[in-house]
Amino acid sequence: MMRDRESRHLALMLAPYIFGIATLIAAPAVVTFALALYEYDLIRSPRFLGLDNFRELVDDEVFRTSLRNSLMFMAFAVPMRLAGALALALLFHRRYRGVGAYRTSAYLPSVVPDVAYALLWLWIFNPLYGPLNLVLQELGGPRPQWLTDPLHAQWAIIIMSLFLIGEGFLVALATRRSLPRELYEIAELESARPLYVFGRVTLPLMAPTLLLLLFRDTIFSFQATFVPALIVTEGGPPPYATTYLPLFVYQNAFEYLRYGYAAAATLVMFALTAAIVYVQWRIVRRWRHAFVV
Amino acid sequence: MAGLTFAGVHKTYGEIAALRGLDLEVRDGELLTLLGPSGSGKSTVLRLTAGLEDVSAGTVHIGSRDVTNVAPAKRNVSMVFQHYALFPHLSSRENIGFGLRARGVPRAEAARLVEEAAALAGCATLLDRKPYELSGGERQRVALARALARRPDVYLLDEPLSNLDAQLRVETRAELKRLHQRVGTTMVYVTHDQLEALTLGSRVAVLDEGLLQQVGAAEEIYAAPANRFVARFVGSPAMNVLPAALDDGLLRCGPFDFEPRAAELADRRLEVGVRPEHLQLATGDTGVPARVEVVESAGNETLIHVSAEDATLVARVAPDARLEVGDTVRLTASPRHVYVFDAETGATLQGLER
Repeated sequence: MMRDRESRHLALMLAPYIFGIATLIAAPAVVTFALALYEYDLIRSPRFLGLDNFRELVDDEVFRTSLRNSLMFMAFAVPMRLAGALALALLFHRRYRGVGAYRTSAYLPSVVPDVAYALLWLWIFNPLYGPLNLVLQELGGPRPQWLTDPLHAQWAIIIMSLFLIGEGFLVALATRRSLPRELYEIAELESARPLYVFGRVTLPLMAPTLLLLLFRDTIFSFQATFVPALIVTEGGPPPYATTYLPLFVYQNAFEYLRYGYAAAATLVMFALTAAIVYVQWRIVRRWRHAFVV
Repeated sequence: MAGLTFAGVHKTYGEIAALRGLDLEVRDGELLTLLGPSGSGKSTVLRLTAGLEDVSAGTVHIGSRDVTNVAPAKRNVSMVFQHYALFPHLSSRENIGFGLRARGVPRAEAARLVEEAAALAGCATLLDRKPYELSGGERQRVALARALARRPDVYLLDEPLSNLDAQLRVETRAELKRLHQRVGTTMVYVTHDQLEALTLGSRVAVLDEGLLQQVGAAEEIYAAPANRFVARFVGSPAMNVLPAALDDGLLRCGPFDFEPRAAELADRRLEVGVRPEHLQLATGDTGVPARVEVVESAGNETLIHVSAEDATLVARVAPDARLEVGDTVRLTASPRHVYVFDAETGATLQGLER
């Protein structure tokens, strides 16, 4: 009796989410799988192609470039973002004057709407009057051509992603704060140096959380490039220096009206993400005995 | 090896005073137990000794060294925490060797010291396990071994036995005492358990509300408590304390009358204390009649709660007394075992002819 009522309540409360997941995620995913096998431009009726879209992707120079760009972004941005979130958490986990304001400012960029954030960086990166290059000039440093040099533009996209680590920071902060104070008091009494304590105590005890963040950020990293590449660098500078997979998909679907081709590229992106996370998980599983408490 | 001296130590946390002028000397090589209720400041003494907190005023010396402003790492003390504070991801071996490795002791030397300390603390067979694979008692041994792995000037133990079950606590208490005799290093042992404090300590220091109430050997604390707080906190069940007054040359307290040394007692509000074990069942017509209200039988002893006139008293009687609720007994108290307190200050007065 009670169980029935409980599960009815549960179903009722979950209903909006199930509806949302079904219509916004599951159904489009199914459509994407199907669409990848067709040619479709919203006007003519879809034409079945089999695996032709995938064959074309393999030979598509722009696709290969955007794939390489995305993987490079992942290789640099993911570890740097994780290290950044951890560093901020370790800086701001203690209670001291003004720490609340520091924590807030570490999180704040993450709540700025993507487009506004991108427009802000467009100004920051401006080579003539942007504050970044003005500061670099004052310090006597180099003056990178953020928006016109291919390599500099790729770095610009990575730099933009490094400030959107509010969620990772919060999770790392909560984890660090949950570690027992007595462990650190023992370390202090035993004259352990800060670096020793970090390597021997803090890092291993935070490892489960950090690994979770690593997986999450890897999955997220393919998508993170979309708005910056669309607004700040517009996929350029030539030749396609900041055309990443999501932008490639977007352009094919909404600019060239090649929905089937775009769906095929999306599936490749999906398969790649799944494969990378699987490999990470296998590696972690091999040495997790060293960490798991 | 060194003693430990607190001189005029104050410690306040915001508005709250944890220690209010503590003067305490722990002698070189002794095991001093710090006894007090929670909030009495006893753990603060340990944390100030270790340097985990800074004193608000006063000085702390380890041996002849003023460590008041010395960092914890440089004080050369080891601490055992109530909840053991073992590193959950490290094996017992790594936990015990943590401080050695942190101080750069070479691997082989550290391994030898770890084995030694583990043997001393009785956890040599547990070295390759992790904390979650250990019982509470085993964790306690590993934590102890970690403290023993080094040779500090002072060992600080913060209620290390309070999470163990009763039987294990008694066993470990005896082992700890043996251990101290072998190691011979100064130990400060914090507990709220008066039995533990009395049985373990070479001397016992009783704290209450941030003030040292009394320090001395166990027998002294029990037989000659400095004030009502010590008298009631030490001993179980607690001492009976009744209001008393001088009347017509006698000290009257509830049903009892005693012969006072009048000079000491004049012009004060008074209280009289008698321990349950010093209330005796009288035979014949002597003693004071009292009605038995509750009988608690514990096998080796029986506690009776009795009412006599307006007073309620607890008495410890032989298990073969065969008393029932509602019985009337007659109780006597020898003046030798009766304490008189100043009701205002709680101080013990030398008030009776003995």
